[in-house]
Amino acid sequence: MAITATSTVEMVRGKYPQAVVETVDFRNEQTIVLLPEHLLTVCAYLQKNLKYNFLSSVTAVDWLERVPRYDVVYHLLSIPNQCELRLKVRVGKGREEHPSVPTVSGIWPTANWFEREVYDLFGLTFEGHPDLRRILMPMDWTTHPLRKDYPLSGFDLPEPHWGGQVPYDTDPGVGSQTLRTPFSRELNESRSKISQNQEPGTEKM
Amino acid sequence: MQKQDIETQYTVEDSQLLESGQRVDTMTINMGPQHPSTHGVLRLILTIEGETVVKAVPDIGFLHTGIEKTAEDKTYHQALVLTDRMDYLAPLCNNLGYSLAVEKLLGIEDEINDKIRYVRVLLAELQRLASHLVWLGTSALDLGAQSVFLYCFREREMILDVFEDLSGVRMMTSYICPGGLQADLTPAFDSKVRAFTSIFLDRLQEYHDLLTNNQLWVERTKGVAVLSPEDAIAYGASGPVLRGSNVVWDIRKAFPYSGYEQFDFDIPVGTNGDVYDRYLVRMLEMEQSLKIVNQALEGMPAGAYRVSNPKIAPPPKWQITGSMEALIHHFKLFTEGYRPPKGEVFVRTESPKGELDFYIVSDGTAKPYRMHVRAPSFANLEALPRMIEGCFLADVVAAIGSIDIVLGEVDR
Repeated sequence: MAITATSTVEMVRGKYPQAVVETVDFRNEQTIVLLPEHLLTVCAYLQKNLKYNFLSSVTAVDWLERVPRYDVVYHLLSIPNQCELRLKVRVGKGREEHPSVPTVSGIWPTANWFEREVYDLFGLTFEGHPDLRRILMPMDWTTHPLRKDYPLSGFDLPEPHWGGQVPYDTDPGVGSQTLRTPFSRELNESRSKISQNQEPGTEKM
Repeated sequence: MQKQDIETQYTVEDSQLLESGQRVDTMTINMGPQHPSTHGVLRLILTIEGETVVKAVPDIGFLHTGIEKTAEDKTYHQALVLTDRMDYLAPLCNNLGYSLAVEKLLGIEDEINDKIRYVRVLLAELQRLASHLVWLGTSALDLGAQSVFLYCFREREMILDVFEDLSGVRMMTSYICPGGLQADLTPAFDSKVRAFTSIFLDRLQEYHDLLTNNQLWVERTKGVAVLSPEDAIAYGASGPVLRGSNVVWDIRKAFPYSGYEQFDFDIPVGTNGDVYDRYLVRMLEMEQSLKIVNQALEGMPAGAYRVSNPKIAPPPKWQITGSMEALIHHFKLFTEGYRPPKGEVFVRTESPKGELDFYIVSDGTAKPYRMHVRAPSFANLEALPRMIEGCFLADVVAAIGSIDIVLGEVDR
């Protein structure tokens, strides 16, 4: 019997009932939501027994208000069976700063860079990852830009750059799309504290 | 912590003592990010022993522009123009992938008529030809064949003329958009495409004459930077890199989109997975693309160039001036945009570089909650160390050329 996405969902449900949180079918795309602790077992089973040999991508979605906060999304492809599947794990239950997910780079080596990208842009750590370094942002960057509470623009920039020349008298609440949390709003407000005595282009006193 | 890692890992080390007591001299050198053959701003940290590359660590991110973050603050229609800027050698293929994803999210795939599909396929294949021509010219230039470059750009110019005629823009056209096309075909379209297709087969033969049996070319590329089929799949390589390694896999055949199932074409594959095979796969692919362009041109059906649903595509101009509803639709569309239902879609397309996928999550508002792009060059580049470790330093240039990376897409 040829393996399809639908039959895969049934097989995973039958074999690992304790691992599956829920399954979703939207626009003919099958999604299996898994518990993070069972991720590796299910992935190894999918790769070995059901021939999902190609990992298309690993990415994450930040649902700021939800607990658990992050979705980590895996898109699998089976070249022999010509079918595709989406796996998801939800992490970040205890509002921790850097939630941890087991790495799948031992199963699909291509996950190495994709997980580095998720680490870089979302701040999720991957347990057992061989080389967890930033990949797109500069090495000395400290924050994670694709998080929803990271503003589109507007951190406190080093002084010679701005030099107090830009008026910051707008209400930070206006940009609520980018300043959704008190944390980032504080950062934004901190910019507006300009010393009147400061000459443009000089160090802040 | 990270900074220290880099320093301990990648410093110049002379006369390392191995466990066996043997002394080896390795040297760590830096290639790029401003090296002319890295096709943009790729940096490679190469550990070499004599002429042989022992270890290669790509360093990317120099062109990171935060496209995924920016898209979260644009409406679906505005985010389209960001996709042009990723693979800037094949913007129409990016437009196509993005448009298909948004249409799937909206559930309006059935409203897309055959005319739109045919035009999209035709343009995507022309774009593939243009992208492969740039690849052929630049990768041959990297290996010292300077004349090929000029010939390739001569033909690419004809394709860009077609795009300019259609959209007014030569590269960042945004011509394919969710809901159809930005504008109708122009009267000169047909003749301009035919002007290109009628000469291109002969020109392709010229490139074959210049390179395929050229002894210099064969010696620089055959048996160089070999990637086995198992490694290619494991490292997520796609497109010509995967097919060059003898894996028969093409999204256009496996998951046909935009009506590709109606066209007759073959998938060329290589045998050894070396630079020469990847070269030959792309050369043969150009022939197949030309075949698809011809079929699309001959069978071009008549029809509207965008869907008639006023919630998604603006009503025609004559209605806006005469009807209040049309004016309101037009106004709402461009001030607020449309709101797809909550959900997520993942659409696979075969771009010139490989598997280009768009993952869009909607939370029911007019802006994508999250847009992730699976860039083919990103995964193909990940396989690069696997190819070049054990090769000569001079072959690194050939290998980079053969995977055809576009850094705008790698870094996004």
